[in-house]
Amino acid sequence: MKRFLVVILSVMMIVFLFNSCAKKVKTVPETTKVEQVEEQAPKVDKPQLTEEEIFLQKSLDDINKEGNLKKINFDFDKYSIREDMKGILHSNADWLLKHQTVVVSIAGHCDERGTVEYNMALGEKRAEAAMNYLLNLGISADRMKIVSFGKNKPLVKGIDEDTHFQNRRDEFIIVKK
Amino acid sequence: MIKNNRIVLMALLFLIIFTSGISGQEEIKVRITEGIPMIPIALPQFDYTDNSLVNDRVIKELYETIWNDLEYSRVFKLIPRQYFTYIGKLDHENISFKDWESVQARVLITGKVEISEGDRIIFNVKVYEVSTGNIIFKRNFGARKEFIRLIAHRTSDEMMKHFGEKPYFTSKVVFVSNRDRNKEIYIMDYDGGRQKRITFNDYIDLMPSWSKNGENLMFTTYKRGFPDLVKFNLYSGRTDMISSGGVNYRADWSNEDNKLVYTSSKKNQNAEIYVREMDSGREKRLTFNRIIDSSPCWSPNGKEIAFTSQRTGTPQIHIMDEDGTNVRRVTYEGTYHDNAAWSPDGSRIAYVSRIEGRFDIYVLNIKNNTITKLTEMAGRNENPGWSPDSRHLMFTSNRTGSYQLYSIDYNGQNLTKLTRKGENLMPKWQKVD
Repeated sequence: MKRFLVVILSVMMIVFLFNSCAKKVKTVPETTKVEQVEEQAPKVDKPQLTEEEIFLQKSLDDINKEGNLKKINFDFDKYSIREDMKGILHSNADWLLKHQTVVVSIAGHCDERGTVEYNMALGEKRAEAAMNYLLNLGISADRMKIVSFGKNKPLVKGIDEDTHFQNRRDEFIIVKK
Repeated sequence: MIKNNRIVLMALLFLIIFTSGISGQEEIKVRITEGIPMIPIALPQFDYTDNSLVNDRVIKELYETIWNDLEYSRVFKLIPRQYFTYIGKLDHENISFKDWESVQARVLITGKVEISEGDRIIFNVKVYEVSTGNIIFKRNFGARKEFIRLIAHRTSDEMMKHFGEKPYFTSKVVFVSNRDRNKEIYIMDYDGGRQKRITFNDYIDLMPSWSKNGENLMFTTYKRGFPDLVKFNLYSGRTDMISSGGVNYRADWSNEDNKLVYTSSKKNQNAEIYVREMDSGREKRLTFNRIIDSSPCWSPNGKEIAFTSQRTGTPQIHIMDEDGTNVRRVTYEGTYHDNAAWSPDGSRIAYVSRIEGRFDIYVLNIKNNTITKLTEMAGRNENPGWSPDSRHLMFTSNRTGSYQLYSIDYNGQNLTKLTRKGENLMPKWQKVD
């Protein structure tokens, strides 16, 4: 055993000596070549977000600002859906069918010409009219809430008919996405 | 004989006319106030015992406030001040009642103001019957100077009590104002004095009304995003949810404070009238249909309810019994009526009517079925409410460009503007026994 160790050690000594001798002899050749250090970035595709994922990344405020759900307006003292507003409700319904997670609050508003009390009830009727229309277009009831603001939140100030028309409205506010 | 028959026939006809129609209420307590002469009163300047009061606005404010209260009452008539110059300076110890009789005063009010410690004053008031020189009453009111208007109103209330009238000068009016940007609840004295904000919630608060004891308010708040009806205790600040789901508004407490009538759409997304027993919380729905029923108010005896209903196509005032039966239509002229308010003496119903886009306040006299138009061609006039003695009304009008509160007599006289800051709506006068 001892002899075996001595042999190993002497071999290692020889190898070591030989190595150091060789280094001393070697010379590094002069060169002007510049090694370009570069790293190739791995080619990984950023996965495309689905429309739904993009949608979920936005805040409720941002989504509401985009105005995907359009307002509808009403006739004076009326809460039936005007013919020319039905198209808007259809496109609102299409958008809601595409975004199944969305819960919408339908807010009914009135112009300033009625009384506060009666307009509270009228605003609710207007919100209810839109909700019923959307129900018929396949939007489930648990995705819709209604609220009446009567004449407490006019959109525009003024006394002409155009102002009144703009204020007699249902707004569709996304409250959950 | 023929003449006699005609008289009988006429009498019968009258009977039929007056007993039919909507005047079929029972137990209307009608105090006949029209035509009774007002009591002439002399109110000479008050004396003061301390020279530091010579230029103090306190005395002037005390005097003017009592003067205005008594004049407002329409119970008393104040003898014009210039008549007092015919009479020598008032000697409190030795009043010459003959002099006061000569200017036709029936009642003499004398007052002395003293300074007590610190910022306090004492008002010593004596009221005499001029013809006999007897004291009708005397009182000493003490308070800090800042409560000078309260002393004045207390004095005026004593006058009312001693002459068999409702003492309403210390009563409060609750209303809605946006003077601090958001629509919140405020209270003030009946004359617009001492206006004070009550709610600080930054949500829309609407349509406040009083409990009879004056401790609680009922109003609609959008605190949760929806128009809920809440009860608010003015002294503890405690808020209790009364009704939620859909719209909930225009609550009116019965005269005994035990029942509440209000508008709600909680069950079917359609405004209906509900009555709630305040102790048990039990509720009864009174209207059942797909059209709008709203804005209820009690008759003073609690047996009937006036409300707005669209059941004939347009909003009209109706009356029903407290159980929802026996519905009668009250208004016919015009296509838009709302805001029914039953006078505390039961004799009249005030409401608003929109005719050609103009809102004005009308008063229906139930006794004789006559209608008086209270406001005319001056802006929009809405939210009428009665004074405790049924002689005055308060309402909101935008006649000056913005909505402000006004007081007016039941016959359209003595219009007074009460607010100036921001827009002010929906006044409701506290009840007084």
